[in-house]
Amino acid sequence: MGDSRFTQQELPACKPILTPRWVISTFMFVSLVFIPIGVASLFASRDVVEIIDRYETDCIPQDFKNDKVKYIQTPGEKTCNRTLTVPKHMKHPIYVYYQLDNFYQNHRRYVKSRSDKQLRNPNSENDASACKPEDMANGMPIVPCGLIAWSLFNDTYSFSRTNQILTVNKKGISWKSDRDHKFGKNVYPKNFQSGKLIGGANLSSSIPLSEQEDLIVWMRTAALPTFRKLYGKIEVDLQEGEVINVTVENNYNTYSFNGKKKLVLSTTSWLGGKNDFLGTAYLTVGGLCFLLAMAFTIVYLIKPRRLGDPSYLSWNQNPGGH
Amino acid sequence: MAEKGVESKRLKEVTSLVRKGARRITLSIGDGANDVSMIQAAHVGVGISGQEGMQAVMASDFSIAQFRFLTDLLLVHGRWSYHRICKVVTYFFYKNLTFTLTQFWFTFQTGFSGQRFYDDWFQSLYNVIFTALPVIVFGLFDKDVSASLSRKYPELYKEGIRNTFFKWRVVGIWAFFAIYQSLVLHYFVLAPTSSGINSSGKMFGLWDVSTMAFTCIVVTVNLRLLMMCNTITRWHYISVGGSILAWFIFVFIYSGVALPKAQENIYFVIYVLMSTVCFYLTLLLVPIAALLCDFVYQGVQRWFFPYDYQIIQEIHRHEPDNSRVGLLEIGNELSQDEARSFAIAQLPGQKSKHTGFAFDSPGYESFFASQAGVFVPQRAWDVARRASMKSRAKTPRKN
Repeated sequence: MGDSRFTQQELPACKPILTPRWVISTFMFVSLVFIPIGVASLFASRDVVEIIDRYETDCIPQDFKNDKVKYIQTPGEKTCNRTLTVPKHMKHPIYVYYQLDNFYQNHRRYVKSRSDKQLRNPNSENDASACKPEDMANGMPIVPCGLIAWSLFNDTYSFSRTNQILTVNKKGISWKSDRDHKFGKNVYPKNFQSGKLIGGANLSSSIPLSEQEDLIVWMRTAALPTFRKLYGKIEVDLQEGEVINVTVENNYNTYSFNGKKKLVLSTTSWLGGKNDFLGTAYLTVGGLCFLLAMAFTIVYLIKPRRLGDPSYLSWNQNPGGH
Repeated sequence: MAEKGVESKRLKEVTSLVRKGARRITLSIGDGANDVSMIQAAHVGVGISGQEGMQAVMASDFSIAQFRFLTDLLLVHGRWSYHRICKVVTYFFYKNLTFTLTQFWFTFQTGFSGQRFYDDWFQSLYNVIFTALPVIVFGLFDKDVSASLSRKYPELYKEGIRNTFFKWRVVGIWAFFAIYQSLVLHYFVLAPTSSGINSSGKMFGLWDVSTMAFTCIVVTVNLRLLMMCNTITRWHYISVGGSILAWFIFVFIYSGVALPKAQENIYFVIYVLMSTVCFYLTLLLVPIAALLCDFVYQGVQRWFFPYDYQIIQEIHRHEPDNSRVGLLEIGNELSQDEARSFAIAQLPGQKSKHTGFAFDSPGYESFFASQAGVFVPQRAWDVARRASMKSRAKTPRKN
């Protein structure tokens, strides 16, 4: 053991003391930084226009209201017409999402039911062990295997206004890193949805996985049981008061587990979609810090204590000993 | 307890009596072979290395070179150790509790299926790399008050005797803040992700959110450590900054390299996160919102219910950092006693850190001093003085 400053614990050090001045200044500084950020975030969120339309109950015809599961499992077209009214002018691009409630994409057995190797590499198509029971069908491996791919969402939406069709751009809805690296450019769906139980959409076996953006978006499993996923973009503006007609193909079975389906149209800001949370949280914390700074100032004025007042030492307070 | 020439069995019996009978924490100190059993019988055994050999030292928990170093051992280093151990242990539980509870809150959202919130590697390396070094640096270097102040205010030692820093109340408060922080860290990170998170309208997946949460946790618990430091050296900055930096470097590499692993959950996640404004705003908001409560508590506690060491810190806050242990202030006004002590402290026998007597050989001081050319007035018990008196042929007894 040497005699260096390190081993003798004599390193130069600063000894911060939390004086009232520091407490109040810190609170004021935080509120000065947070309140403008909160205001900016809240304004950004308020600027976003969002239309949410819950349709899974209304899209069941009257005859089947008591047996929704039977209805959804009957083959054939299940078209449903919805109308949306635009509340405020919406600038393009307008993002179309589908939102599912009570769907646990974050369930442990669901999350692990995929094979990233298989998705990337055509030679790894047999690497499907994690995907049980959706790994093999008719003795052949399924590409892409697993419950996540098998349960691909398959409702479709088409939009029109006053007899003019609004095209939905379905390109570029997934993260670029997924398209470029996670899903192979030469991996094609094989043996997909060929078993007895069909869980969702089918995939064209002539389009490589890197271009199957619906699948890519769906396979980025959501964190919470209520989530929305990007369906496409509408590249024209929508005026206030316009009536949009939506033709929904109600294919996806959420009725077996009381899930909800919602169609969402939303503009975005620099901060993203309509979410007041960040703005509110910043304002709350900033405001709270400001109030605390005021409160501490008042308390320090009313009940002052001299810094380093020896009468607070415990042995000076109890002259009779402990 | 330290006695010369007493039978070792007697010493041991007395020590054990105090230890078990009176149920007190005992410390015994000795320098000879007869002290070994006493040293082992006490809770803390201190051996003095020196003239009587090394047996006492080898049997002891702590060894010092001179008896007078016992003051420093107890009042300075012992006290610092108590303070550091309390803080290190409670901090360690806090950081793990906070981390684990964020996973716990997530189980409510996964249908209780047991899906982990964090990637396996994140979880394994949390305690090993991302939060390990700062608490070690704290345990090594933190001083509530300096060494000289520790000696000046020996009453501070009572904090250890009363177990002020490891009561259930203290532990409970740490646990309460851990629960509060875990709620903030979990829900404040999840809440902004329910809609599109950037202008291109895309959504975050599970692993994006969990990486964002993990980043916030690493930053929060490391900053919390800085908040509890009384002494901040450059190693604190290096370890705290280094741990946070290590996290970023690790996740850049881990999510940047497309390793042929089975599952590539974290692939590219951090780069996706860092391309959104939401990530930075969340990273600024969450640690501050999480630490807000702790900060308020510390401000209130320090001002209205201060601990003794905090008052002493304030009393002496303007003094320069006289961190040279053991050096007397050589001012122009030294009292007689101080001058004498200083002169003796300069003697070769006293200056050595490695050998010495168990006692300060008060009877021999003037003799050694005169050998070294320093004049030291003789005291009544001075050996040289008594030897010069006509006396019986008895060996002088040391006190």
